[in-house]
Amino acid sequence: MIPVAVVGVSHKTAPVGVRERFSFTNAEALALLESLRDYSGMTEGVILSTCHRTELYVCSGSDFDLIDSAVSALKRKAGDLVGGTDQYLYHYSGMQAAEHLYKVTAGLESLVFGEAEIQGQVKEAYNLIRNSSTDRPLVGPILNRLFQSALAVGGRIRSETPVGQGAASVASVAAGLARKIFGGLENRTVMILGAGSTAELVVESMERNGISELLVSNRCLGHAQKLASRFSGRAVHFTEMSFSLKEADILVASTSAPYTLVTLEGFRDALGGFREKPLLILDLAMPRDIEAEVGGEPNVFLYNVDDLKEIVDDNLLNRKASIPVAHDIINESVSSFLDWNQTLEIVPVIKDLRESWDQERKNQLEWLWKKLPDLPEDEKGVVSGFSKRLINKLLHEPVSRLKKGVGNGKGEDFLEAVRYLHDIQDLASESAEDSEDDSVLGHSD
Amino acid sequence: MQSTEVYLAHFVSLILYIGSLIVWLRSLVKGGRGSDPAVAFGLASLGVLIHVYALILFTSSYHQLPLTGIGPSLSSLALVIGLALLGTIVFGEGRRVGIVVIPVIILLETVAVVLGVEPSFEVMDFQGAWFSLHVMMAFVGLGGMTLSFAASSLYVIQLGELNNKRMGRLFQFTPPLVTLDRISRVGLVTGFVTFTLALVLGWFWTISFRQSLDQLNPKVMWSIMTWFVFFGVLLTRNLSRMKPQRGAWASVLGFAVIVMSYIALRIFVSTRGFFL
Repeated sequence: MIPVAVVGVSHKTAPVGVRERFSFTNAEALALLESLRDYSGMTEGVILSTCHRTELYVCSGSDFDLIDSAVSALKRKAGDLVGGTDQYLYHYSGMQAAEHLYKVTAGLESLVFGEAEIQGQVKEAYNLIRNSSTDRPLVGPILNRLFQSALAVGGRIRSETPVGQGAASVASVAAGLARKIFGGLENRTVMILGAGSTAELVVESMERNGISELLVSNRCLGHAQKLASRFSGRAVHFTEMSFSLKEADILVASTSAPYTLVTLEGFRDALGGFREKPLLILDLAMPRDIEAEVGGEPNVFLYNVDDLKEIVDDNLLNRKASIPVAHDIINESVSSFLDWNQTLEIVPVIKDLRESWDQERKNQLEWLWKKLPDLPEDEKGVVSGFSKRLINKLLHEPVSRLKKGVGNGKGEDFLEAVRYLHDIQDLASESAEDSEDDSVLGHSD
Repeated sequence: MQSTEVYLAHFVSLILYIGSLIVWLRSLVKGGRGSDPAVAFGLASLGVLIHVYALILFTSSYHQLPLTGIGPSLSSLALVIGLALLGTIVFGEGRRVGIVVIPVIILLETVAVVLGVEPSFEVMDFQGAWFSLHVMMAFVGLGGMTLSFAASSLYVIQLGELNNKRMGRLFQFTPPLVTLDRISRVGLVTGFVTFTLALVLGWFWTISFRQSLDQLNPKVMWSIMTWFVFFGVLLTRNLSRMKPQRGAWASVLGFAVIVMSYIALRIFVSTRGFFL
């Protein structure tokens, strides 16, 4: 059994108003984990807090109820909610918890299926806790392994499947189109008609890619100025729109005008009949602002909102086709994590077994030195070395087989048998009493 | 022994070019993601390096430049095209034209190896610096045309993807239009200038040493026709600045005409084993 549990809320279970109640700052996350470690049985913990989810991953070496403690911690954070908190929370433990983290990291649980940002957010959350300067580390061997393998799984799924391929939002499709026409967006001029929210998103996305100039044209110059100032752009009066069109490389139209703003004739007049550089037009308005025939002009690439949506849908469909392969990768990784976790269980048993045999070796040597008091020191050294070698040789095969057995899923039975045969749970008292007895090595005089 | 080494080096470079093509194709399937484009370009660069070594070996072994005889000439032309591909590194994503350029290189080098990278026995007149310069400039011209063709082919494909509103793997892999247009233009202009100089030098050399232009020589005919094709493509590009797709198509068709006419002349006109 993997001693890991996860409790959380996400866009699938809670609206934004609820999710923000569960949101953690870095300092709050650290404080909560320290408190869980100090006052409950949690040994390791990580909090992942993003716009779309808050998840608390906890781990414990003992039998304490991980989920209850984690749920209580999150409930305290959210405070009172209408209808209670339970309806928004989900929880998984053991293998399901590991599987969940793998899915989250790969973007399979994201609002925009397959988005890559979550991989960075998981890494950030893990690194924050791992590198925190607390007196005792909050991330130990189990969560270290789990998060590192989750990040590797996320990377593998993204490289081996089309899960992250193709833009999955109108804004990113627009930025992708602009990049494939102009190369980079540096030194490009973007002009916006209207001040719709989608246009704003597109401009935000393009601004991140480094456009050089933004022109905003709106019927209400005040609105245009407001939006322009947000992006360090320039407001253009609606009547000057045609003139400014000549400067633009990208035109984003999203007015609420009930008629076509740019007709083919108007467009040709505005450009003076000659346009050498390409023009990307994104008509996000409904009804459309740009006459469809404008798209037939040389060097003009016109996309309306349906075109963009169709591209997004195609990309998402393509991404979702990768689910079976992604699940295979996740199952393989969960199984590998489980194997690793089981090998953790045998480490103390092997250690105890070795200590038990070594103690017996020392006891037998003591007995031998008494029987041979005149044995020179150098010969004692040879005998002692031989005894160590013999113990190592005798233990080598059983320990190897034990490791293999654990890997094959027979771990519990084998460990039980070893514990029983060697009575290694109460090692200290045994070794003191039986110094003169025949040892497990079968030595007798 | 020397001949074996020349062939061995050619084989190694050919294998590297083929490896590069395989990685380019894999990158195309992946939509250009990951490190495949860099690996493919790296393999191509290594191929060019070994190719350079192969031709240096040829020169030092036979004491003649690999500019005469069909095999050595085609190998040299392949190398020039390879060097032109390496030059695309300055265009960032534009180096992906390798997916079109590399097959051309592979084809030329394979033909060269099959026909034999051997010294020409009719080289007496062809050892001077002027002649070498003439041939090298002609090769640079043809290399530029090949690069322009490769970039224009991808331009036409990318334009199709944009116009049909497809954003699949082909769209993701293919470089931006502006980059492709720039590579095509640079290839064409460089090619045209060097090819023109090559023709002038060729004319000067022939008149000086042979006292006649020998217009009926198929090589001369083909060279003049190639120059006109170059000129036509350049003219189309400049006359249709508003419609770069026309320029792109002109480059693609121009290249096709040059290759087809070369093949036709090779098949139907007997030659004396020179480049043509």
